Amino acid sequence: MPRDLPTWPAPLAPVAQGAGVVGRESVIATQVTTGKLSEFGRWLRKNKQREMLAAYGFILPTFIGYTAFIIGPIIAAIWLSFTEYDIFNPAEPVGLRNYGDLLRDTRFRTVYRNTLYFTVVATSLNLGVGIILAMLVNRRMPFFIAYIYRLAYFFPVLVALVFSAVIWEVLYAKDTGIINYYLNFVGVSDIAWLGDKRTAMPAIIIMDVWKNTGFAMIIILAGLQGIPAVYYEAARVDGANGLQTFRHITLPMLTPSIFFLVIIFGIGALQVFDSIIVLTGGGPGDTTRSAVMYIYEHAFQLFRLGYASSVAMTLFVVISAVTLVQFRFGQRWVHY
Amino acid sequence: MAEIAQTPTAVQTVHSRFGKARAGDWALIIIAGIGAAIFSVPLIFMFSTSLRPLHAAYQLPPAWFPTEFEYQNYVTVLTHRIPFYMFGLNSAKITFWVTVGRLVTGSMAAFAFARLRFPGRNILFGLLLASLMVPIQVTIIPIFLLLSKIKLVDNHLSLILPSLTSAFGVFLLRQFFMTMPQELFDAAKIDGAGPWRMYWNIALPQAGPGLAALTIITFNQTWNDYFTPLIYLNTIERMTLPLGIAALRGRLDSGNPSVVMAAVALAILPVLILFLFAQRYFIEGVTMTGIKG
Repeated sequence: MPRDLPTWPAPLAPVAQGAGVVGRESVIATQVTTGKLSEFGRWLRKNKQREMLAAYGFILPTFIGYTAFIIGPIIAAIWLSFTEYDIFNPAEPVGLRNYGDLLRDTRFRTVYRNTLYFTVVATSLNLGVGIILAMLVNRRMPFFIAYIYRLAYFFPVLVALVFSAVIWEVLYAKDTGIINYYLNFVGVSDIAWLGDKRTAMPAIIIMDVWKNTGFAMIIILAGLQGIPAVYYEAARVDGANGLQTFRHITLPMLTPSIFFLVIIFGIGALQVFDSIIVLTGGGPGDTTRSAVMYIYEHAFQLFRLGYASSVAMTLFVVISAVTLVQFRFGQRWVHY
Repeated sequence: MAEIAQTPTAVQTVHSRFGKARAGDWALIIIAGIGAAIFSVPLIFMFSTSLRPLHAAYQLPPAWFPTEFEYQNYVTVLTHRIPFYMFGLNSAKITFWVTVGRLVTGSMAAFAFARLRFPGRNILFGLLLASLMVPIQVTIIPIFLLLSKIKLVDNHLSLILPSLTSAFGVFLLRQFFMTMPQELFDAAKIDGAGPWRMYWNIALPQAGPGLAALTIITFNQTWNDYFTPLIYLNTIERMTLPLGIAALRGRLDSGNPSVVMAAVALAILPVLILFLFAQRYFIEGVTMTGIKG
């Protein structure tokens, strides 16, 4: 990393070995081995060692945590997924049986269908509503109004999902909730939001949009403000209408923000848990049970830790795949 | 994803200057206002319900501008036999130590990755980054088994220890350290400063916004966490706010929603206050790393 070195004269001695890319470090190392070490070289070598040792010291705490609470547990989880383990008796290796059971488990299929349904719908709505809100708010207006709007849309992002769910549980109540009360005015009779198979998942999604779309709005706003004004001036000169401007300037320039949000919301939604456990507990039946709830119940209520680990592995694969898509295809899809 | 944040901000933009709105924009501004009003309903409802006396708790339509104020609900929350104030203390304690831990370990590792040279630097950083895509649900079962083996389950250490370090914190702060001018470090080096001096006297004092961003994001995350406390804590007296309120919401006061709402209002207050004071850093941190925290 020459960038990190103070600038000093060209190499002090000819490079003894190794063609190709040889940095100043190896020049000095060579001098060390040949014994022709200058005063300056010795000073540098001592400093480099000091810097290296310090660096390992600096990263040590992080890597202790990393080993104990990330790498170790991952290896253990992979191993557990090939065993049957109930905490009380020693883990018993069962080979691929857990994974075979997964394939035959109809509830496993159901919870994944629910999770994917939630992920696709909630992510699209969070993003769509967020873009609309950002476009609405992104115009010149008195500072006071702009400030109030941003707070109103962004505050829910800060409220824990559990607290949001506790509030919305009261709003959704069939007989005493204000949602049904106001819907009665437009001729909709009382809906058992959380108790009805058809409305339970939509109810959870609506709450999720309330809670998260403000985040999308803020990110999109930041993206909008990064679009150079000259582009819009050029479009105006060329006589583009509003829709054309949006389609050919705003949207392409927003792709980095949109792509980022899809990934972030997607990964978050795949792990949905808090809101469901408070609002419906997975019911009615299994209609709102998510993959993470399924892991939680098998691990910590039924004490089938091996099976729970194999379900967790499937989630790991899905989330890793989404993340890798971000790394691999991000550049290609995104217009910078 | 870091590129997102680095879209040039110095470029002239047409939008979002504050001031008098253009005449044609007022219709859209009013639509946005209706949206903002709808979005505010749940929190306003929470607040107004928390101030209602019991006989009006279920009143429909709710009194949006209450005529009677029942502060007693808040007193009930704090003095009731259910130890709400203990939930708050537990949450505060856990959040404090996790935040301090992440600031210390994160800034140290971030400094090394951004400013020091050592063999394996890129590989180790790559490994750390890769751990960002490991969902907590994968590691939690083995961590639970480990912690129960050393008898830390149902103990706050079970929530603090595994969270003292975070790859996210290292990543975030590294971004800040990388943008500092190299000349500062060169000058310090020539004056004989070692790595520790450079970290403490040069890098840290300039990393204020980064440390603030990590603080607020970690605070939010830990204060609002529900999944891990649910797994580790069983005793009521040791529960955190999200866990305690979710577990006891039916029992806080024989199902009086006003008391439950008062509890929620108190629980979200610290996060809202922190945000009002430091929103710039929060949003900066999020856009800079491309991670929600």
